This record gives sequence, C-alpha cells and structure tokens, in this order.
Amino acid sequence: MAFAGGGLNRPSSRDSAPGPRFFVFAAISIVLMYFDQRDGWGERIRYGLQAVAYPIQLAIGSPRMLWSATSDLFETRASLRAENAALQKRERELALVTMRYEALEQENARLRDIHGVVPPLVSRSQLADVVNADLGRLRQRFVINKGDTNGLFRSQAVVDTAGLVGQLVRVGPWSAEVMLITDPEHAVPVEVVRNGYRTIAVGNGDAEELQLPFVPVTADIKAGDVLVTSGLGGVFPAGVPVAVVAENTRDPDEILARVRATPRATLTRSRQVLALWFDPTHPATPVNPDLIDKLPPAPAGPAVPPPSDDPPDKPAAKAATQPAPAPRPAAAAETTP
Amino acid sequence: MFAERESPLLVYITVLIALMLSVLPLPQMLSIVWPNLLVLVVLYWSTLTPRAGGMLVGFLAGLTLDVLNGSQLGQHAFALSLVTYLALRLHLLTRAKPIFEQTLFVLIALFVYEGALWALDGFSNHSTGTWTRWVHVATGAAIWPLIVGLLGRLHSPR
Repeated sequence: MAFAGGGLNRPSSRDSAPGPRFFVFAAISIVLMYFDQRDGWGERIRYGLQAVAYPIQLAIGSPRMLWSATSDLFETRASLRAENAALQKRERELALVTMRYEALEQENARLRDIHGVVPPLVSRSQLADVVNADLGRLRQRFVINKGDTNGLFRSQAVVDTAGLVGQLVRVGPWSAEVMLITDPEHAVPVEVVRNGYRTIAVGNGDAEELQLPFVPVTADIKAGDVLVTSGLGGVFPAGVPVAVVAENTRDPDEILARVRATPRATLTRSRQVLALWFDPTHPATPVNPDLIDKLPPAPAGPAVPPPSDDPPDKPAAKAATQPAPAPRPAAAAETTP
Repeated sequence: MFAERESPLLVYITVLIALMLSVLPLPQMLSIVWPNLLVLVVLYWSTLTPRAGGMLVGFLAGLTLDVLNGSQLGQHAFALSLVTYLALRLHLLTRAKPIFEQTLFVLIALFVYEGALWALDGFSNHSTGTWTRWVHVATGAAIWPLIVGLLGRLHSPR
C-alpha cells in the first residue's frame, strides 16, 4: 500500500512505446558484448559488476557453507581424533615420498645441464574457499572468495591437493572465477607420464570426465596412464597431475581413438583450492614469454630469493630445455601425490 | 484493475529471488531440467502488470545474470530485454487468455530467449552446447501455471 503512489507515478512504461526502449537496451547490450570480446573496458565494467554480484553469490552459496559450518560444529571428539590420526598417517607417508625430492630436483637440474640452484617451482600459494559452484553442461566454473585484493591474476593456475583444477578467467576485487579443466571451453596440453606422448585434454561439461579428442588410433595410450601438464600451453607449469586415462576405445575404421580420462582433482566436491605463483626462473614454469613478462610478482610471502645468476641467459636456457621431450619432471611429479 | 496497485518493490524482490534461484548450483541432471525462473518471473510482471515491470528490470536482471554466470556481458541482458519487449508488446493479447494458451505463449517466449542466447553464443565463437540447453524451455512452460498461481497470490490480496 505504501508504494501505491509510486506505482501511479510511473505511467510511462505502458504509454511510451516499448519499441524505442528495446532498441536502446539492445544497443547497450550489443555494445557491452562488443567490448567484452576485447580486453580493456569490458574487463573494467565487469570488475565493478563482479563486486556488486559478489553478495548475491555469497547468498547463493550460503546454504552449503552454513551446512558445512554446522556439521563442523557438531563434530565429535572421537571423529576429530580419528581425522587427526589419519592426517598424521598421511603426513608421514608424504614425508617419505618427498624425502629425496630436493636431491632428485638438483640431480635432475644437473642432468639437464642447468647450472645454479633450481628454486622451488611454486613460489607462493593462496588458499581460497569455493563459495559457489556452477557445474552444468554448458559451463564448469567455481567462484572463489579471493580476488584482486589478494593479488590473484587472470589465467593463474589453480590446483587442489590431488591435481589440476583449472585457471582463473575473471578476477573481481574480492572474488574470482575459476574455469575448470572440465569446462567445455577449456583445453589443457597434457603428456602421458609413461612415454611422454603429448596431446590435448578437453573438457566436455561433465565434472568426472575429460576427453582426448586428438589421439590417433595408433597412439600408445591405455587405461591407467597418468596424464600431467606438458607445460606447452603457457599457463600451467609442466608436470602437474591432470587425469588418469579411463578407457581408450579404438575403432580400426576411424582415424582417431576415443579416449576418456578421469580428472585427478575432486572437482565436484572441492571446497578449498590453491592459486599458485611460479618462480619464473624455474625450468618447469609456463613457457609463454609474454605471460611471464606480464605476471605480477608474487606478493610478500614465504618466497625464496631468486638465485644469483644473470637473467639474460635464463630464457635461452628455458627455451632450449622446453622443446625437448621432458619425461623427467613428469616422472618426478608422478610419484609426489 | 489491481495493476495500478503494483509496487515496484515487490517486482524487484521477486525478480531478485528468481535470479538467485536460476543460478543456484544444482546436480547435473537437475540443472538440465531446472526451469529459468528469472525469465518466467520477468514475463509474468511484464505481461500482467506492465507498469510495474518494464524493460529496465529485465535488462538489469539479465546483466546481473551475465556477471553471475560469467557469460559475455550483455548476452542475457539482450535476450531478457527481447523477451520483455515481446511480452510488453503482446500483453493485451496474452493476459486475458486462458492459462493453457498463455502457456503456449510462454513456450514461444522461452524459445525466443534460448534461441537468442544460442545465436549470440554462436556469433561470438563460444560453445553452443548440446540439445540439453533447450530442455528448460519445455519445463519452464510447464510450470507457468504454478508461477501465475504463486505470484498472483503475492500481489492481489483478497
């Protein structure tokens, strides 16, 4: 009732023809779409709008977060103890696995004729909560609760503890959008750990499945093969576990085999993911030189000071090491998880 | 008659709720058949009370949907403006029709909406998806009587 007057004051909607209004809105939409195809203004408009939309995203994700918060609250002492014991066991196992890691890393560097100390690949990581997940046929995306203010940047690699999750496609002030590797528009260059065979893994909108559409029937790929990133796309470093081949159906009449793989990362159930910064001097960092130049430096954190060698010869060394088949870092990464 | 009494606030709130319900994260199978409630609610308001609805609501809701969905900026805004335009243009024709006939109009409107999105996806070299994207057109039209019942209860207290 209080708004009855307001309703009466706006007789224009019906009386003014909707035609011209539609043309105005259609024109605005088309201009927006045009700019969104290009970087620059579209990104800036979206950046602002993303801040406005973040509360809505939080509200949508809140039932799930509320549920997990309450279930945390009622967790019993016994179950916490059990979890603690399990975690300790896992930590021991991981410690055993990584015991010789550093020695192997240096040995690997020596074998590949890289002089100087190889810094750790991941110079910094940022833990983020998944506040909203959009896992449909058309798109496979997460919204995470860290953004520009935490230093995240576009096309940053995102992993969880099991493997590759995806990359950041849009970064807002306090939130960012992760395109998962299973998104129909996502493709990641991969390599078979067993034999170094390189191909591309493409998402198809199913969170439990990746496809390898460009594998000839003669290629040596079989179920159980571990796929890791090959580092060729320029976004992900080499050697991050991506998926395990589930089946390879070969039809002799066809040129290409139908290969399906299962992602290593638990995409449907992930609640926390890690955004990574890489040390540009490490040989396994993304090879795209344009991207490396554009990468913002890692914000203050437990970063390792870069080794004291002259930067000019580094890109050359990287370029020389990358095109050669590099099963070594892949094999090292395979044993890590 | 009671079109005059419609408060814009009620429109905004219902549109916001519909917006949130239409971007709700859902299991795979459910998300295919999940109707696009935002389009239905916008259709409802622009058909039954064109003064309170208006194209601006459709446009802004579409723009928010673009940001939430991560689709191209302006894509859903365009499609929703188009549907709102059609609804406003034809509201005198459709509003007095029996519910079955209205459902037919809604089916066409949803088809136009998804068709616009599909075409814009194609123009901009995005993935145009599979047949599953069209399923919600049918389910949306099927629940139209429910939407009319619910929203009608909200805005015409008797």
